[in-house]
Amino acid sequence: MQPITLEIANEEHPLYERVKALGIPANKTEHYRHFAIKPLLSKEYDITIPTVGTPIQGTKLIIENGVVKEYPNGVTLSFIDDFQADSTHYDALYFMSHVLCQNVINIQTKNDITFEIEHHFSDKNRFIPYRIAIQIEANTQVEVFESFHTKGSQESLLLYGVDVYIASESRLNWIRNQNRYLDEAAIVGSHHYHAAEQSSLDLHTFDLGSGNALHIYKIDLDSYASTNASHLLLATQEAHSGNVVYINHNQPHSKSIQESRTILKDGATGIFDGKILINHDAKYSKAKQNSKAILLSKNAHMYTKPQLEIYTDELEASHGSSIGELDEEVLFYICSRGIELEEAKKMLVLAFASILIDTLDNAKYEEIIRMDFELAIKD
Amino acid sequence: MMQIKNIHAKIGDNDILKGVNLTLEAGKVHVIMGPNGAGKSTLTKAIVGHYDVKVTEGEVIYKGKDILKMPPEERALEGIFLSFQNPVEVAGVNNAYFLRTALNAKEKYHNQKETNAAEFLKLMKVHVEQLGMNTDMIARGLNDGFSGGEKKRNEILQMEILQPDVIILDEIDSGLDIDALKAVSEGINRMKDGKKTFLVITHYRRILDYIHPDYIHVLQDGKIVKTGGPELVDILESQGYHALQKDT
Repeated sequence: MQPITLEIANEEHPLYERVKALGIPANKTEHYRHFAIKPLLSKEYDITIPTVGTPIQGTKLIIENGVVKEYPNGVTLSFIDDFQADSTHYDALYFMSHVLCQNVINIQTKNDITFEIEHHFSDKNRFIPYRIAIQIEANTQVEVFESFHTKGSQESLLLYGVDVYIASESRLNWIRNQNRYLDEAAIVGSHHYHAAEQSSLDLHTFDLGSGNALHIYKIDLDSYASTNASHLLLATQEAHSGNVVYINHNQPHSKSIQESRTILKDGATGIFDGKILINHDAKYSKAKQNSKAILLSKNAHMYTKPQLEIYTDELEASHGSSIGELDEEVLFYICSRGIELEEAKKMLVLAFASILIDTLDNAKYEEIIRMDFELAIKD
Repeated sequence: MMQIKNIHAKIGDNDILKGVNLTLEAGKVHVIMGPNGAGKSTLTKAIVGHYDVKVTEGEVIYKGKDILKMPPEERALEGIFLSFQNPVEVAGVNNAYFLRTALNAKEKYHNQKETNAAEFLKLMKVHVEQLGMNTDMIARGLNDGFSGGEKKRNEILQMEILQPDVIILDEIDSGLDIDALKAVSEGINRMKDGKKTFLVITHYRRILDYIHPDYIHVLQDGKIVKTGGPELVDILESQGYHALQKDT
């Protein structure tokens, strides 16, 4: 049993120096500032480095405690011990997870495919690092639905991440549904998505419940690449939860739209740290970023940091942020028709969330997320 | 049916109602007219329990109870309905879902069988067509992106489906074109069954030509200063409120 420090990392790993240079995150590390990372990393864990295992072919990518149990038909599965990670990532735990993970789970898609990724994690006091890489072939459409099943994993920490490469003229629709509660493992996900020329990434994240989780994204856009990123966060009880998303427009005519919606109950803390960087070469790019948060309790806290960093004149960009409470006039209107105040509030919260749930373009997943949302709001 | 007794009310630090007394009779159409700022909307808000209005004195007796002690939703469940002057827009709350939730809440409150989704849709379609509304509004957000006329028709739609007993219409005629005014007035007339009571706030006589009021009350400076029959409208139209001030 030991805490998560540099000492558990292999000094010989090529990315070790990157971890060392960035430093293990502490309370003052900018994008972990409101997540309480230090107490999480300081806990004593039973550290388990996942092995390769003997996965079977099936319909989903099922990962139990970091070990692949099943992978979907229509993809190629391999394990890579010298994966070329993104050396320009800004997050130390991105590199740390690569250093600790001895075999990156590598999925290659050749054709259009929809598949689910299930993360199962059931042990107490355990720390498991693992990573998934997904390479999407050119001119294909891929849809991924990612979910977490972490009952019984209290006092544990899951450090994972995905490295996704979307080849030219392909489309990836990624839906992450994270519905978790206080007595389940904390999750830190550190990810990198690279959208090549004329490809597109739809990234829809749903973080629901009282569990602690932070996801850190770096999205790179090549010429004419686009991303539509939406983040719905519903945090309850004492949860610290959120997303840090840096979108880099690296080449001309790239486009990003980002919409974050947060609902905070009880004493929950929500985090949205979004930065859209438009590089000098990314002329004629378009970027739009918006963050809205509703506080349902006086003890809830929202930390929002919408940022645009622009190094070219030829572009269209806007960003905005608001934090508020439910509109009293609207609540009164609903109650004036005989609907109880609590029901009226629920109705408005669901309406606020539906704007993002309804955009999934997939009735099955919309229904799953809507049900999870309604369950989480009652928590 | 409803007795408004000596109501004093303020909004913020301003005293708006200064002793309103009014008895609303079952099956009758009562109209309140008055100059801007007289307190007409404040009176309607006081009856339905709007958070802006603080009632400092008086009572409103309905079905033997002082409704001022009830939260707004309970007043609605007891059968009091306010058609708002400016209905709010609620994006993301489906119009049909909202109205069915309200109807089911009322049915549950009165221990009645709840209308299911299919029955409700059928009911809603009938009323939507009667009011000359586009059926696509059923699936739209509540008043979301509606024109002024559509919002007013939607208020009447809610009234027709919820079937309240005391119906308060706050400037239901404002901003309506001739066709919309006619459709809204017909909706109101469909609700007249000899038992329901109407309290209509208006500045203009044109809606009164359609709905045929029984009583006209003039509210000035927070008090009812005159009550009469429909002929009072002619006097007000020709001489203005100023003339009444001289009388009183």
